[in-house]
Amino acid sequence: MLSTVVRQSHRYLGLFLAPWLLMYALSTMAMNHHGYFIAKHGREPQPFEKERELPYAESFSAGASPREVGRQILISLDLDGAHTVNQRPNGSVVINRNDLVSPRRITYTPGDHQLLIEKQAPRANVVLERFHRRRGYATGYALDTAWAVTVDLTIAGIVGWLLSGLWIWWEMKATRVAGAVAALSGAALFLLFVFTI
Amino acid sequence: MTSLHLTRRLHLYFGLALLPWLLMYGLSSIPIAHNQFFADRDAAKDLPLWTVRMERPFDAPVPRDQEKLREFGRAALAATGVTAPNFGVFSPNPTTVNIQSFSFLKTTRLVYRIDQQKITVEDRRFRFDQFLTGLHTRGGFEQDGFLPDAWAVVIDLVCLAIILWIATGVFMWHRMTRKRLWGWVALLAGAGSFAVFALKL
Repeated sequence: MLSTVVRQSHRYLGLFLAPWLLMYALSTMAMNHHGYFIAKHGREPQPFEKERELPYAESFSAGASPREVGRQILISLDLDGAHTVNQRPNGSVVINRNDLVSPRRITYTPGDHQLLIEKQAPRANVVLERFHRRRGYATGYALDTAWAVTVDLTIAGIVGWLLSGLWIWWEMKATRVAGAVAALSGAALFLLFVFTI
Repeated sequence: MTSLHLTRRLHLYFGLALLPWLLMYGLSSIPIAHNQFFADRDAAKDLPLWTVRMERPFDAPVPRDQEKLREFGRAALAATGVTAPNFGVFSPNPTTVNIQSFSFLKTTRLVYRIDQQKITVEDRRFRFDQFLTGLHTRGGFEQDGFLPDAWAVVIDLVCLAIILWIATGVFMWHRMTRKRLWGWVALLAGAGSFAVFALKL
């Protein structure tokens, strides 16, 4: 019975979290070859490109903070989600909407009530890295919290696969010796790295 | 040996050989995902993170080119007697150059203040969460020597192994005809949820 539970949880958790694992594998490879992408695209951050410009006639409550202004604008544009807001010395409010695929920068200029919306074009390695680095608990958005929960679930899944994998290996008597050789070789190599680099 | 047999063996032996890396990535993701908790926990100890080892006059022209800046960092490390298999150099402002020399177990920081013609060498206190995150974030082929490159090669291997585990896992599940329905449910639920995050986050 226990063996069945171990095997089934190993299998079904793996199938459910396969997209996360694939994303983490591909993004780690992209980050591991960071030098290649710097050589190809340069060190500068990816530029924002103008998407549209429009007047913004809605008013804000008296004494509204830049954060409140930013949130209201995002809701008006149907772009609400994780973001940061800052105010420039000239009074304009800059909202960075942390979209995973195409982040946007929205600049509101109070003097002429104009909104400038710019976005970054998706680039595979940058998008993957963004997925990899995304956290969620601090933003206050339910979807980000849900993402953070899936990240924790993936962490638990990795540890769970290790433990259940060891269990499954130990139940397969024919593979015990070769499996032990593989495990000990890997552990020895890992320790070599830890103590030398 | 049948294809199913081969698939099962590949899935198993790669898992066992790369087990330390998976365990490391699993455990080290906890302080990364919950960094504030670990930072608060350490701050409660009220111990300084960095200890000054030495401070001495130092005067050398600082190049602006990134490659030459690395050469400058190498020379500064040699001049202060700091040795470690890896280092990074960056200039946060026009009057300061920071050189971080690190191994998995030890980190030393050199701060060169150009306007004061002074260099400070500081050692970082060992913190287990930072040891884990150091393992997690180490990668790339930019460091000197064979072993740092070998580590980066193993990281690529771990990534390829993860892709292999997914492919072989899906293959093994699909061969088990009685498990297909629930497998499809898990697979589609995962893919659907991920797609929603990708489109909406």
